[in-house]
Amino acid sequence: MNALAHNATAASDIAVELVDVHKMFRQKQRSERLSETLRSMLHPKVREVQALRGVNLQIRRGEVVAYAGPNGAGKSTTVKLLSGLLSPDSGSVRSLGMDPVRERVRYVRNIGVVFGQRTELWNDHPVAASFEWKRVVWDIPRPRYEYMKDLMQEVLGLHEFFHSLTRELSLGQKMRAELGLALLHEPALLFLDEPTIGLDVLAKRMILEFIKQLNQSQKVTIMVTSHDMAELEQLAGRIVMIDRGELAFDGSFARLRQDVTDQRRLVLETPDLAAPTLQGAELIKSEAGRHEYVFDAAHTRIAMLLEQAASQTTILDVETHRAPIDQVIADIYRAWRK
Amino acid sequence: MVDNPIVDTPTPSVSAIRGGMLGRILHLWRMYAALDLAFIVADLKLACLYIVADTISSVALVTGMLLLSERFAGIGPWSQLQVIFMLGYATTVSGVLNTFFGYNVLMISRRIGRGQLDHTLVQPQPILVSLLTEGFTPFSGSATLFPGIGLLIWAITGLALPITAGWLALFVINILSSIASVLAFSFLWGSLAFWAPRAAEEISSSATQLLDQLKSFPLDGLAPLLLGGLMTVVPVGVVAWSPCRSLLGIDQAPYASWITPLIAVLMSLIAIFVFRKGMHNYERTGSQRYSSLGHRG
Repeated sequence: MNALAHNATAASDIAVELVDVHKMFRQKQRSERLSETLRSMLHPKVREVQALRGVNLQIRRGEVVAYAGPNGAGKSTTVKLLSGLLSPDSGSVRSLGMDPVRERVRYVRNIGVVFGQRTELWNDHPVAASFEWKRVVWDIPRPRYEYMKDLMQEVLGLHEFFHSLTRELSLGQKMRAELGLALLHEPALLFLDEPTIGLDVLAKRMILEFIKQLNQSQKVTIMVTSHDMAELEQLAGRIVMIDRGELAFDGSFARLRQDVTDQRRLVLETPDLAAPTLQGAELIKSEAGRHEYVFDAAHTRIAMLLEQAASQTTILDVETHRAPIDQVIADIYRAWRK
Repeated sequence: MVDNPIVDTPTPSVSAIRGGMLGRILHLWRMYAALDLAFIVADLKLACLYIVADTISSVALVTGMLLLSERFAGIGPWSQLQVIFMLGYATTVSGVLNTFFGYNVLMISRRIGRGQLDHTLVQPQPILVSLLTEGFTPFSGSATLFPGIGLLIWAITGLALPITAGWLALFVINILSSIASVLAFSFLWGSLAFWAPRAAEEISSSATQLLDQLKSFPLDGLAPLLLGGLMTVVPVGVVAWSPCRSLLGIDQAPYASWITPLIAVLMSLIAIFVFRKGMHNYERTGSQRYSSLGHRG
């Protein structure tokens, strides 16, 4: 294969590419004082919010990428840029080889977007009517439509409420219908912005399973944002984190834990109420002879801690846990804020 | 798992879809008409109440002028039947607008202000096609249309107008121009919501209400400056008064029939220019807020 052909293959393997993307918003500032309010009519005070600062990001075809960050970090701005709803101030946004804004009509035919707090379903009609609406507007050939409709009904369990009015469905049923609708035209790229917001455990699990299955069987490229880190870890092999408009981390969840800290918890049960003092571990809870410590496994070996404890008291039971991913992320956000 | 015997069925190309824009619009209208019918028959009692209420409110809007013309056997240079023709014309204009531009297409500032244009932008078709088709509600939105047509037939029969092909062509051109003018006026003001989404969310409904309330007044005898304003800045005159004057022969100037079409073209061009500016701003700033009323709420 010559170099040109190789480059072309490499480029076509990239589903999403953001190069040095900047996006700034202006927010008018209001004052509670009347005099300043009147003055601001002539000389408005404007605050510039840098939503994205030189973001570079590549997502390969068939990849599932978790996109995370604290509120206001720039997640939704990125999803909007990639959905063709916003244009960047500078830099380039290419997705599926297209400019999402300039080639909007052709581009949106190939993507699916689910915003957790928005709906594409027709509220006063049954779910079936929204599916039929999508078939006509997206011009889905009838055989493909019938196949995908049956598939979505089966995989997402839409049968039970397919002919019920949308406004009468539960939140979980609506989200399942929403996902089915977003996938009806078989998009190559799927953006999910908080897809499980407000759902109960069962509905959440069903949707996560479906997304994983979809990626594995159809090789759909998926970018998912959520505040639920445990959920993101279940779904994606790669996590991209953004803070104040800049990419702060891009890698696997395992590397994220290692990079930040390999924080573990150690729980000891002893006959004594007093907790043993352990060098290299911090006692965070002690109750009725059950003592919980937190330590950094990268610097402190667990055997050393157990030796210390055993030299001070009898150990009845030992448990160790990795820190929950939510805890890791919360620590990262806290560190960023400092 | 469901069998997939048709994996290679190609999806239509964009050019093929664009190629038959008119065909596509008709296809979409048919689908939206079916949805509208389904909405009506889902709760027939409620739908009938809704249609009756809409009919009464549209007739009530022109009743005042109807009673005045009855009491004084016409108004100024207008005979009683000529007044009825104008009221029928004005009501038909409203009827067509309600039938074709429901779901907040006519009240475009609501869609812009509520951040619901996002829903339009993720559809694989030009925005114009979406706006021309999404509001088509021939069953729930046509309550105003039938009283308008009824008044027109009553007046035309009574006036014994010589209906020629030329007159009919001018009638159609003028009524389409009046519809375009109201639509342009609503979009022109509604575009303000691109820059002030919250403050201007209801501006299209205020603008169209203003035209609705004044459309049935004959404007004869007004000072030229005021009349000029009512033909351009607030184009009440082109909703019914000016086109009806020419169609009924009250204004016999040779260019009279082309005043409304000319104003409609100018207003539409300005509205398109401002709306496009607004869309560019929307591209840059996105929606500042979102009201979860569904994408056509």
